[in-house]
Amino acid sequence: MIAVELRDITKSFDNLSVLKNVNLSIEENSITVIYGAPISGKSVLIRIITGLEKPDSGQLFLRREEVLNKSPGARNIGYVPQSFALYPHYTVYDNIAYPLKLMKVPKVTIRKKVEDMAEQLKIAHLLQKYPPQLSGGEKQRVALARGIIKESDIFILDDPLAGLDFKLREQLFDDLRLLQESLNATFIYTTSNPLESLALADYVGMLDQGRIMEFGSVEEMYHRPKYVKTMELLGFPAANCLDADLFRKNGENWCRTKLFDFPVELDSSVKLSSEEEKGTIVIRPQDITFERKIPEDFLKCQAQILLRHDLGGELVVHLEANGIPLVAVISQINSHLISEDELTIGISPSAIALFSKDKGYKLGYGVM
Amino acid sequence: MSEIRLVNLRKEFKDVVAVNDVSITFPTSSVTCLLGPSGCGKTTMMRMIAGLESTTSGEIYIDNDKVTNVPVSKRGIAMVFQYPVVYRGLNAYRNIEVPLLVDKLPPETRKDRIHNVVEILGLEDSLYKNVEELDLGTMQKVAVARAVARQSKIILFDEPITNVDAEAKIQLERALKRLSKQLNQTIVYVTHDQTEAMTLADQIVLMKDGNIIQFEDPRNLYNFPCNTFGGWFLGNPGMNFFEHSIEKLKDLSHFSSPLFSSPLEISQLGDSLNGMKKITIGIRPEKVVLSTSRKENMVPGKVMRKFIVTGGQYLVKVKIDDLIIKAKVNPSLGQQIQEKIWVECPLEWVSLFKEDGSRLKSGFTI
Repeated sequence: MIAVELRDITKSFDNLSVLKNVNLSIEENSITVIYGAPISGKSVLIRIITGLEKPDSGQLFLRREEVLNKSPGARNIGYVPQSFALYPHYTVYDNIAYPLKLMKVPKVTIRKKVEDMAEQLKIAHLLQKYPPQLSGGEKQRVALARGIIKESDIFILDDPLAGLDFKLREQLFDDLRLLQESLNATFIYTTSNPLESLALADYVGMLDQGRIMEFGSVEEMYHRPKYVKTMELLGFPAANCLDADLFRKNGENWCRTKLFDFPVELDSSVKLSSEEEKGTIVIRPQDITFERKIPEDFLKCQAQILLRHDLGGELVVHLEANGIPLVAVISQINSHLISEDELTIGISPSAIALFSKDKGYKLGYGVM
Repeated sequence: MSEIRLVNLRKEFKDVVAVNDVSITFPTSSVTCLLGPSGCGKTTMMRMIAGLESTTSGEIYIDNDKVTNVPVSKRGIAMVFQYPVVYRGLNAYRNIEVPLLVDKLPPETRKDRIHNVVEILGLEDSLYKNVEELDLGTMQKVAVARAVARQSKIILFDEPITNVDAEAKIQLERALKRLSKQLNQTIVYVTHDQTEAMTLADQIVLMKDGNIIQFEDPRNLYNFPCNTFGGWFLGNPGMNFFEHSIEKLKDLSHFSSPLFSSPLEISQLGDSLNGMKKITIGIRPEKVVLSTSRKENMVPGKVMRKFIVTGGQYLVKVKIDDLIIKAKVNPSLGQQIQEKIWVECPLEWVSLFKEDGSRLKSGFTI
């Protein structure tokens, strides 16, 4: 069942088009992540759904009812903003209770709800403290509790973990997921952090330059991306993108890059507009191999290791090959393979995706 | 080539103990990272070494000289801060040269030293630009070059790459690695970022609440944390922890856990468990072995959830009895995993911790 639907939502500010014909159908009882770079239009989209902004055109349905003419309050959406926005002179208890007091919920019910929510978000011991006495992570938990205490089935979380360090985010991933499951609610969650998206999302909408370029389940988006930025950015570290020229050779389609030439199989729907076309190839960091015996049918090139980032369980390897910077990932148990600074790297052609340079849609994959 | 020794060093700010009677020796000619969350005392400790902060009690020695009350300028220490400190109005070359002029070095020596650091930091194209025209990352490179070119025996870095962009970060980290190898200076580097510390350090000082939790080389610290805090703080995600009550155990030589196919032999711990109420088992997610078919030493589990993490690996949450364990597995296994799974916690990667979080032992045999 669809909980939130956007149809052809368009918004401009001073002739600057921020959202272009955005169409989205968000499943109920799921977490949908709207993923995109900081200026991709995420915040405007959120403001339109909550009612803080009116679109220039389009339709918005909440619970299958058109709501563009309804006030923010009448839309009954729980909202967790990016900044903590806590009242410093209220205790944690009063901050969390505030939305319920506005709704004139009986005091006994408020107490029960606040205590339950505090227990769930592990802040029960902080209820009598004031926001300035809290750490960044604790403030974010209070802000989450306040946004979610409202009785609703739709919640919007606008990049709620931005600015928190990795350890705090890691703990909150788990808690947010459990919270969504226990509330049985629809979460719309914006972020520009790939690991956060992958950890939390059931569905991902890739927002780029004001358009939803791709939408699907998180596994589908990761393993079968149709848009270049989905493959590049939905993953950590970001994937390697290289310019490529497409050309015909012996009746086959080939790709030429600064590192190697290889044949490609174009998707059946793709028709090249001219004899030669520009493309972008994308290689995920884990698809670069450092094995001593690289399989015969892999593409190979010489590379220099610039830096080995030690994440503990794995290493992110920064390389340079023929003047092109590349990033690879190798697990700690294989770290002996990268002991030399100059080495040969290998990539299976079938792991290389080819996208249109101009429009960004997928053209095909490399073949052996 | 100077050793820094802290003896019972203490710093109090009103009623807060920022550094709590710390004694430690930073080895000469190597990189020591002070790592910990904000408020752990790492920056205060470094500022006391530099002479920028007074001590409440305790002593600081550089080699055999007591420097606790020696002014900043006389300690022979160079420092790089979180935000680049540069001489505005001067170009990058002159910025690097100023301390060398103060030290009255001959022109040829100045030129050689500047040339060397400029090459390592990749500053060739920015050398004759006014520093105010440079971006933050390049400015920080100039600040690093100036500190390094002086060839002070000790250089202190206070989160120098926190505020620069990703590309400059990699260039600076790479340069720091090369410089530390080449110049034999004693480097103390403060950071809250575990990856930065693991990447740059010869040894890490892990700190919490003004105390040193562990002082060890990065790999040992990661694999065998001497405290649950280290297990949690390092790693993405940190260690799995499981508390076990041992209060009612009659025979302390073995105990059973749903995580292991047979009882864990703890007789090697001797009497150290006597009087304890509980212990904590710890294992890193990437050391947990999952298999879709049953193998020796494996126990059955139910997959609760899986999702993609760094490098396309999967983090899999598995329920074993009433315990939930996180396992990090390679992309192809991660994709195959369905509801039922077999799990092994290899004993060589298991650590046991006491109630206060300190380590009892790492690595076991059945």
